[in-house]
Amino acid sequence: QDYKDLIKKVTMYLDNALTKEAERELLREIKSNPNYMELLHKEKSFREFVKSRVQRRTVSPALVQSIKERIKITS
Amino acid sequence: MVLMADNTKKIAKDKVFNEEFLPQIDALYNFAYHLTYSEEDANDLVQEAYMKAYRFIDNYEVGTNAKAWLFRILKNAFINDYRKKTKQPTKVDYEEIVNYHNEEDTNFSSYDDLRTEMFDKMMGDEVTIAINSLPVDFRTVILLCDIEGFTYEEISKIINVPIGTVRSRLFRSRNMLKEKLKEYAAEYGYSDKRSKE
Repeated sequence: QDYKDLIKKVTMYLDNALTKEAERELLREIKSNPNYMELLHKEKSFREFVKSRVQRRTVSPALVQSIKERIKITS
Repeated sequence: MVLMADNTKKIAKDKVFNEEFLPQIDALYNFAYHLTYSEEDANDLVQEAYMKAYRFIDNYEVGTNAKAWLFRILKNAFINDYRKKTKQPTKVDYEEIVNYHNEEDTNFSSYDDLRTEMFDKMMGDEVTIAINSLPVDFRTVILLCDIEGFTYEEISKIINVPIGTVRSRLFRSRNMLKEKLKEYAAEYGYSDKRSKE
């Protein structure tokens, strides 16, 4: 249960969803325990791994032009 | 006189469209592509979203969160499009975006996966394939949070589910993704030792 709670807090921390106070408390906990630090590192590195490897695409100028023409947008 | 007023209004609308909406087009296209897994469908979806955004531009508060507003329109267009393909008569009401900024979302509609059979045949990067093989509800939260950086609250409004549901879907979808990517991630130096706990 402690472990589940910790994962939940680490997840929310990485999602920027903790209050400042909860964040400070978590970071204090993490500093005092190498296992917690390892968990934070693993979670963070997985997020970065996924984000860096997911394919990003750029819209073609033709699509932008087509949208503008259909709406008759003035530049 | 009326013509001048109309023209001034159109210039103002076009300014919002050019300055606040169009800069989001790459992010919207990527979201659309990961929802449909088809360049052609993604193009159509983005066009449809922008047409609707312009039609309802008076409901948008200038200077607020254009990206979240547009993502919600695109997500609704995707659901409508999917329902059309599966011949279901119900539609998302676009008027709901009027209340985007102040509403409390209490209900949500679940929808099934789209084109699952196509994902298996797709070649490309393992991470993209893994994300696209998640059920669409789970794929959506991963894309919105981990790829696009939306907050829980923004995601809750975009996909119209309570924040608690956003959190639980994120938790489950990340675990599914880790399971799918275990071997692949290990090759790149990432290993998940959770199971040892």
